[in-house]
Amino acid sequence: MALGLTSAELAGFQSDVPDRERVKYGLPSEVKFCKKCVISNQRPNSAVEYNHTADSKKTTIFFDEDGVCDACRFGERKHQSIDWNQRDLELRELCDRYRKNDGSYDCLVPGSGGKDSFYAAHILKTVYGMHPLTVTWAPHLYTPWGWRNLQSWIHSGFDNYLCTPNGRVHRLLTRLAVENIFHPFQPFIIGQKNLAPRMAALFNIPLIFYGENEAEYGNPIGDTESAKRDWSYFTATDKSKIHIAGTAVSELIEDYGIDESDLQPYLPSDPAVVEKLGIEVHYLGYYLKWHPQSCYYYAVEHGGFEASPERTPGTYSKYNSIDDKIDDYHYYTTYIKFGIGRATYDAAQEIRSKDITRDEGVALVKRFDGEYPERFEEDIFKYLSIPEKEFPEASKRFEEWQMTRPYFMALADKFRSPHLWQYKNGVWTLRHQVS
Amino acid sequence: MIRLIARLDIKGENLIKGVHLEGLRVMGDPQAFSQKYYLDGADELIYIDSVASLYGRNNLTEIVRRTAKDIFVPLTVGGGVRSVEDVRHLLASGADKVAINTAAVKNPGLISEVSRRFGSQCMVLSVEAKQAAPGKWEAYTDNGREKTGLDVVEWVREAVKLGAGEVLLTSVDKEGTKKGFDIPLLSAISELVNVPVIASGGMGNLDHLFDAVEKGHANAVAMASVLHYGQLTLPQIRSACRERNMVLRDYEKTSSHC
Repeated sequence: MALGLTSAELAGFQSDVPDRERVKYGLPSEVKFCKKCVISNQRPNSAVEYNHTADSKKTTIFFDEDGVCDACRFGERKHQSIDWNQRDLELRELCDRYRKNDGSYDCLVPGSGGKDSFYAAHILKTVYGMHPLTVTWAPHLYTPWGWRNLQSWIHSGFDNYLCTPNGRVHRLLTRLAVENIFHPFQPFIIGQKNLAPRMAALFNIPLIFYGENEAEYGNPIGDTESAKRDWSYFTATDKSKIHIAGTAVSELIEDYGIDESDLQPYLPSDPAVVEKLGIEVHYLGYYLKWHPQSCYYYAVEHGGFEASPERTPGTYSKYNSIDDKIDDYHYYTTYIKFGIGRATYDAAQEIRSKDITRDEGVALVKRFDGEYPERFEEDIFKYLSIPEKEFPEASKRFEEWQMTRPYFMALADKFRSPHLWQYKNGVWTLRHQVS
Repeated sequence: MIRLIARLDIKGENLIKGVHLEGLRVMGDPQAFSQKYYLDGADELIYIDSVASLYGRNNLTEIVRRTAKDIFVPLTVGGGVRSVEDVRHLLASGADKVAINTAAVKNPGLISEVSRRFGSQCMVLSVEAKQAAPGKWEAYTDNGREKTGLDVVEWVREAVKLGAGEVLLTSVDKEGTKKGFDIPLLSAISELVNVPVIASGGMGNLDHLFDAVEKGHANAVAMASVLHYGQLTLPQIRSACRERNMVLRDYEKTSSHC
């Protein structure tokens, strides 16, 4: 049953002709799939999360006149035209400028201890002679193997600061993010993006290295022309406009019983401070030809990284994004909102990396995309529930404090867009599928 | 007698290799690799279309046909074998044995059927075992992706009773790591059944092979990474085994094989 919708709303989903007037999130009303990979033109670009509310409009991945996405075009450059030797020289030059031999850290590598951050920190240390400090923003709920991989990373030779936000506040924000923007991962993303510049400032480390550029997955290709990351992701000039979990900060404090000090990890750095310290953020993926599968091999060989013991629900893979139990739900919500599930993201990446063919990718998407993630449901729904005992003020603000499957699925229906979904004979199906 | 087996995991037209059956790396034309291993003295070859179940396809027939033409040692083929008809096709194309995992788990009766029609010697039970607790392993399907809830020891016991004539025992934990075979797993299964057990997953050096045979009591050893990446060659392995007084098939490299 589509419980969350009125009969008028439901009508738009029942008709065989998609209602292009009621397209959500500013998505393109006509659905297209990339000719080279399996991604659709509905994929939103990364955005400044502090502006993200229920009414936000997305910008989406660009498709050229040949029907090929920006991420694939970038993949072609990666394999064909970029001079990686030249880029390697640039990296050596950069490292030479920042390397310190006075016993202090000279660069900061934020990461989870997954395959990509493992590779980044390890290669900077062992090949480029740097002295990285690693910092980690904790997952909501660690998987056992995710926790072991973080330990393996540290034990392969790194200092690490693990920042774990106040569990109650993080739970409440995550729940609000589900209610308001159906995005359980958003407060995590905000905290994660903030942590690196803060820690860099704290330790006076002027150089931050991220792994891949988001453009490898479809952000505007212009982003790849520079190694540097745009500061707008990290800072905010006007604090009164800040939203977290789709909720204004003032509202969080007044209506949800959150103390301002509880929001510390989520509030952006002051751009003036960041500028004064002269912190630079660079993508290692600009300098090194990034290949996720090779990072996996590298991490296994140099640090005993382990793949997850089973494939992740919604996809076929077991080597990427495996440390947080909530991840399964993150990709389930992208499937609901944009028609793009985890298998689509995984297969698109592996096609661009030439690990699988497009035909294989299509088969994998058809088989796994959008599979409901049952395995950690109990843990996650408990995490997302806001009982009065623990949250005396906030609990009252929710129609239902407890998260349950029927409630979650009713909520999901409110975030479906009629141009993507059809509701017929009691079943939801995507109107367009990759083929 | 101990058999030295080269294992080739195939996807589409390519030889692939993973770690923990994941991150499947494209290695090249399987034909070139298998020809080399044959000429180098492999006692048997195993071809597994490791993602056939994952992609719901079965297209090894053509590759098998091409391979069998030039290779005169037993060839075991697996991956996506779902019916007696599939087995018949593969055998007709030149396979000597078939390895079955996913379909056997879904329908154990298939084991008896294959073994009755074609003989138990050609019904190889392929097991992807992942440790669940010390001394406990769970059987997986779909190239180490799907849990079955089956206890490996119980499952192998049942499958052999149904007519499996050989067990290809792959450790998902060790596979691709070159850190050695899962010896407790091997011993548990070797002691359990009186059909041959092939150790698979984890070989990185000669000691690993010796351990598999001497401590794990494997009847045959399957190797992949160690051969594909050229760490060891079959002649090296063969002579080291001889020095260790292992009984191997008589094999002298001669030009008549070419």
